Amino acid sequence: MSYKITEEGNISTVFLDGEIDMDVTEKAKEVILPLVEAGKEVHLNLKDVSYMDSSGISVLIESHQKALENNTKVVVKEVSKSVLKVIMMAKLEQILNLE
Amino acid sequence: MDLSESKDFLVHTASLKEVRVFSREVFEKLKIKNDLKEELVLAIAEAAQNIVKHAYKGVENTADHMQIKISLKNDNLEIGFFDKGKPVVEENIQHRKLDDIKPGGLGTFFIKQIMDDAVFKKDQQKWVNHLILSKKI
Repeated sequence: MSYKITEEGNISTVFLDGEIDMDVTEKAKEVILPLVEAGKEVHLNLKDVSYMDSSGISVLIESHQKALENNTKVVVKEVSKSVLKVIMMAKLEQILNLE
Repeated sequence: MDLSESKDFLVHTASLKEVRVFSREVFEKLKIKNDLKEELVLAIAEAAQNIVKHAYKGVENTADHMQIKISLKNDNLEIGFFDKGKPVVEENIQHRKLDDIKPGGLGTFFIKQIMDDAVFKKDQQKWVNHLILSKKI
């Protein structure tokens, strides 16, 4: 997994790339959670994420919940078809902010 | 087309990508359509992840290997997982309730959603745990 972050005002956009599994979840959390804890609105762009397993889904849930605690939000954007299928399998499409 | 292939992987999170590569290669040989192929790869990866995460919980840098065997015979797909970790207590395996939104506990749910059956066999002397996932395709 690789990533890129862009900043615009209070919005941080994290572009994730590659496959997100248990091997990279700590790295993903290290990138996303500090932004959320800093009160940023975080946009996760997943257009280049080709695979996500339950560990990756856990990162999305944890980020979403941490954002609620910090009175901000995480928006999941441009979800690839394969990742959307996993999100829907977990019945999270109504819980996560998908755009 | 009937086929049976197996491969050993070091029990480590870094092996999960290799598990997916191996699975995709086998399913491509079997000409399984892409959507189903990716679902099956997810189920296999989740089961392999459970070995690393649960059967080897608290064990770091083991030299142990797990084995994954994918077989197709008469449209019955069978995927075997063999490991030498802690014995699985089947009563303890349960996924979280989907409306209890929290990180974790989804891997087993995904496996059950994708596969027809998941059974632990006690038929191995060489291995400790032997899980068989099966699906009619």
